[in-house]
Amino acid sequence: MSALHLQIAYCPGHSWLHRLHPLTKLLWLLAGTVFVFAVRDPWIIVGSVVLVGLTFPLSRLPWRGVRGMRLTLVTALTLWLMQALLTRSGPVLLALGPLRVTETGLTAGVYVAGRLLSVVWLGYLFVFTTEPNDLAYGLMQAGLPYRYGFALITALRLVPVFEQEGQTIYQAQLARGIAYDRGGPRRFFTLARQFFLPLLVSALGKVDALAVSMEGRCFGKYPRRTYLRQVRYTHRDWIALGLLVVGIGASVLLLQ
Amino acid sequence: MIHLRDFSYRFRGSKAYALRDLTLDIERGEFAVIAGPSGSGKSTLALALGGFLFSQYDGEASGSVHVNGLDARHTPIYELAEVVGLVQQNPETQFCTLTVQDELAFGLENCCLPPEEIRARLAWALDVVGARHLEHRALATLSGGEKQRVAIAAMLATRPQVLIFDEPTSNLDPSATAQIFEVIARIRAEDRITVIVIEHKLDYLRQFAPRWLHIEGGRLQERAPIFQSSSNRQHPHIPTAQPPLVRITGLHAEHERQEVLHDISLEIQPGEFVAVMGDNGSGKSTFLQCLLGLHQPSAGQLTVLGHDPRRTPVSQLARQVAYVFQNPDHQLFAQSVWDEATLAPRNFGLPEGEIAGTAASLLTSSGLHARRDEHPYRLSYGEKRRLTLVAMLTYQPRLLLLDEILIGQDPRNAEQLLTWLRERVAAGSAVVLVNHAPEITRRYATRLLFFEAGRLTLDAPTEAGFAALAAQGRRAYLPATGA
Repeated sequence: MSALHLQIAYCPGHSWLHRLHPLTKLLWLLAGTVFVFAVRDPWIIVGSVVLVGLTFPLSRLPWRGVRGMRLTLVTALTLWLMQALLTRSGPVLLALGPLRVTETGLTAGVYVAGRLLSVVWLGYLFVFTTEPNDLAYGLMQAGLPYRYGFALITALRLVPVFEQEGQTIYQAQLARGIAYDRGGPRRFFTLARQFFLPLLVSALGKVDALAVSMEGRCFGKYPRRTYLRQVRYTHRDWIALGLLVVGIGASVLLLQ
Repeated sequence: MIHLRDFSYRFRGSKAYALRDLTLDIERGEFAVIAGPSGSGKSTLALALGGFLFSQYDGEASGSVHVNGLDARHTPIYELAEVVGLVQQNPETQFCTLTVQDELAFGLENCCLPPEEIRARLAWALDVVGARHLEHRALATLSGGEKQRVAIAAMLATRPQVLIFDEPTSNLDPSATAQIFEVIARIRAEDRITVIVIEHKLDYLRQFAPRWLHIEGGRLQERAPIFQSSSNRQHPHIPTAQPPLVRITGLHAEHERQEVLHDISLEIQPGEFVAVMGDNGSGKSTFLQCLLGLHQPSAGQLTVLGHDPRRTPVSQLARQVAYVFQNPDHQLFAQSVWDEATLAPRNFGLPEGEIAGTAASLLTSSGLHARRDEHPYRLSYGEKRRLTLVAMLTYQPRLLLLDEILIGQDPRNAEQLLTWLRERVAAGSAVVLVNHAPEITRRYATRLLFFEAGRLTLDAPTEAGFAALAAQGRRAYLPATGA
């Protein structure tokens, strides 16, 4: 059995985007999201989608390996079609019996689908190129109280642990003749209870033990702490942030 | 350094005292070893000294516990933590971060040390435990032994005045165990740190001439353990000629595209008691998993009781082949001790009357019968371990695969488990026991398999096997010769 692997997760790499500081990327993500929602020109939206899409191959990210990619495309297409077919106002471009495609409908479809694609893909780009640990440390060094930062790190730390635990429990149950591998939905609830109870007990135990362990390492003793791992800003970040400032300035002028 | 006065402790909902009227003084720089049966209160004492007992559990305490002048009962853990470092049994529960470097830095960062100081201490602590090469690794990729070293280094780095080790080597192979104890002795000699070690592997600690303490039934005594000579071993059972239970030719197995078993060929006959030894990560567990079909081999012939595990559902093969995992918590699924003991035979459709009879007699001889209606999670670690074995013995499997089940078991408990196994062997089953204890292998096993980096480098009758290991200079795997 292959345990549940996170499909949308960090893909290690050395691209330009990988090497940016997590906060630089976070700012770009926020600015990009605001931008596509503020823009009032369908061609700019199309341009944004193309630009964001091209960033995937440029960051050497596997276009096809991404499981959510097809889902976003299908959703976007459906939204676009619905807008195109259901909008009644505006000049008619095409009429097929009761169906009428209007210019307003087409444009509205581009807005909805384009915004969805841009925002989701920007999110993917961020997640795929940012080591979550770096994000947590980056945020803490930027002033996030360390308790919140470590909540993120702890959650990350426990994911592989629970994967492993689940795997072992599953194997131990097979060894006791619990017939997962012979099917039969009738016993589903018994099986679920027999699987999740040990997992839950071990999860709660682990979380509890971890909290105490952290305290046992002086966690929470002082309101601040120091960091060995410095998530550093490099010249790339200054370039990226400079571009961002120029971009925001241009957008503000453009949108007025 | 450590002063206990009439200290007693009782967990909530428990009638018996976990610790009773303990009075103890340990001076700065002392090296104390606490021994005693499992469930006797050793770990409870360790938790009390670190203050964990009073914030993690709401039990009933009386008397006093002072560590370096701090009242452990009323001082926050993070204050005590600067004085006391507790290395827990399972390093996995101690890790707070994702990488070795972050882990070692964690405590120091919390104490607001400057990065240069952290870097220096980190290097020093990793050097002491011989783990400098692991500095840039992710914790998840480390072997059990490596994790334990990192856990110890992480505690060392904070330079506490008292270091408590709660069975620090229970997950380690003999070579790693010997090294860890060397490390502990060295730390203490260098820094005059007070060291308290809770252990079952007392043989290793003898050479350091520690102060011996013994806890039993929650009461503390000052007394040295009795070291058994290994000359009282029994004659191995001679297997009879029958069709083999297991036949393997040219077995290969991989784990995440890395070869973990290379060209293994062997047969296991009914009535054999096979001990499997080797360093952590040498392929022992994967070998066992292949036999029940829990791991799919990548190449080779494999027949277990006439079936190919690759083409047989695990739940069907499990009727004849029992597998007991290292951690009992992963194997307790039922709502009561009784249900747990009878779960598997019911799954296999054995007659109710027969199940009840076997389960009752096994629970009685394991001392669990009085607790048959309690939830399995309420048992102690040693009791859980016994229950997981009882749960297997109720359906009398022909082949028993046991993965390091003796970890954390005191000698008396271990003896009981091994006696049961020997009875199964006498009844014509075969036992394959992965273990790290040469004494146990010598006393119980008829045959010794030794794995090295995925290869079966030794397959011989036990005594001949030990002679071969001696010739290879693998001293850590040899039983102590006489007393």
